[in-house]
Amino acid sequence: MDFFLQQCVNALQWGSFYALIALGYTLVYGVLRLINFAHGDVFMVGAYLAFFISTGLLAPEGLFGFSRELTLMLTIPLTMIFTSLVGVTLERVAYRPLMRKGAHRLYVVITALMCGLVLENGNLALLGASRRTLPELVDKTIYNIGGIAVTSLKLWVVLTAILVFIALHFIVTRTRMGMAMRAVSWDKFALPLMGIPLDRVIVFTFALGSAIAGLGGLLFAMSYPVLEPYMGAMTGWKAFIAAVVGGIGEIRGAFVGGFLLAFVEVMVVAFLPSTFRDLFAFSILLFILWQRPTGIFGKPLTTKI
Amino acid sequence: MLRVTNLKAAYGKIEALHGISFHVEKGEIVTLIGANGAGKSTTLKALMRLPPPESPVVTGGDIAFDGVSLLGMPAHCVVSDLRMTLAPEGRRIFGNLTVMENLQLASWSRQDGQDGGMEEAIRRIFDLFPRLAERARQRSDTLSGGEQQMLAIGRALMTQCAVLLLDEPSMGLAPVVMYDMFRTLKRLNAEGLTIIVVEQNARLALTLADRGYVLDTGEIVAEGPAQALLNTPQIKAAYLGG
Repeated sequence: MDFFLQQCVNALQWGSFYALIALGYTLVYGVLRLINFAHGDVFMVGAYLAFFISTGLLAPEGLFGFSRELTLMLTIPLTMIFTSLVGVTLERVAYRPLMRKGAHRLYVVITALMCGLVLENGNLALLGASRRTLPELVDKTIYNIGGIAVTSLKLWVVLTAILVFIALHFIVTRTRMGMAMRAVSWDKFALPLMGIPLDRVIVFTFALGSAIAGLGGLLFAMSYPVLEPYMGAMTGWKAFIAAVVGGIGEIRGAFVGGFLLAFVEVMVVAFLPSTFRDLFAFSILLFILWQRPTGIFGKPLTTKI
Repeated sequence: MLRVTNLKAAYGKIEALHGISFHVEKGEIVTLIGANGAGKSTTLKALMRLPPPESPVVTGGDIAFDGVSLLGMPAHCVVSDLRMTLAPEGRRIFGNLTVMENLQLASWSRQDGQDGGMEEAIRRIFDLFPRLAERARQRSDTLSGGEQQMLAIGRALMTQCAVLLLDEPSMGLAPVVMYDMFRTLKRLNAEGLTIIVVEQNARLALTLADRGYVLDTGEIVAEGPAQALLNTPQIKAAYLGG
């Protein structure tokens, strides 16, 4: 029983990473009907940004020599801001010109895939293949709750994912910008007629999704401090699948899908040889999609035009 | 107020407007009538500067608003700076938003948004269309066709527009609902709203309007006071069912 609960804690942590990335996929898809395949690599860039920002600020080597607490307090918003700039740049440089020319969505998706590869290999060319290690920013306090070991970091990761989910839900359902995002997802045509600049809504969507991925990257790097250029590829793919299984375009779906995938993965590894992990995990997800092609929370979409 | 000169517009390589000229003065109701594909909707979308591919690209001529060309402006600036907007063909309301949210969203660029202008404007729209008040919390894709058209017009009014373009407002409406709506439009016009209305129902449009233009395959073939057009034999024969 203890073993099972211990695995549950691990699954919650991994689910949080998947959920944080899946939320960005689902946001952009929900608003633009575009699968931003570079998103996993935006997560990777977020982790690297977190690395450079924190090592730059931290004592004793860092330029500023800040304490660990202060470094973490500054690294969180700075990572989110700079990562959102990366996402916004992708939209501005790669996707917007294509969509302006009325290119079919397929070409934009392929472009997104290429952008992801550019980010990965750009990173490799720029920084070399050597792995980076994020400095330790928090003490790893280990709580013992009824025989289950939980690090403070794991608690923070899960708590952050939940808070992000609540905040996102609030933005989308309660704010004016969220209303505009929902309106764009229904019909882009009429939005300018309301006096609303469509581009601003799109940029906001990319910024929001990327900022969350950046936060995920930071938390991931804090939990697994070894960074390499391809770390976003597989995790990104899995988060995308989690978003689809949850029902892409649905914020709840991305959240639940992320945790679901993590649970399946962790439980397969817990009770079967670890080489079975992805085979089993994806077979189960395949089965869910087979039963519900629109995902757990997704509604069938009537395609226009 | 609005002066269109020799306007040419195209979808891709296909020219849809071959150089049309017309003008609209403040406080007028002007109608553009004509058959399917004559270029009526195209004209309105060109006036609004909506982006391609769904809307045409202006390839020649000019559109001047109070003497200044609006060709360099994106659509949302036409709405927010010139206070002109369009209730598009097929209504195009945001079906996944509630009636209230549709109205709130449209107040984005209001200048009086901060000092209760939005609430006041929503009250006024519920006053004009009491049915919308009853359905305020409902998802707008559950509304009937007539109610959706009311919402489309109400939403346009929420932008604080001084010029309202209407594309086929009578489409799919029961006659009673249609006459009701045209009475409401007349009332709004009496309060100072300038209206440009495009209609397939030419008789109805000419009854409402002060002046009219007849479009045929991208060209203006007749123009004049609405009453005069109603009594022109050729127009009667071609557009008013004899």
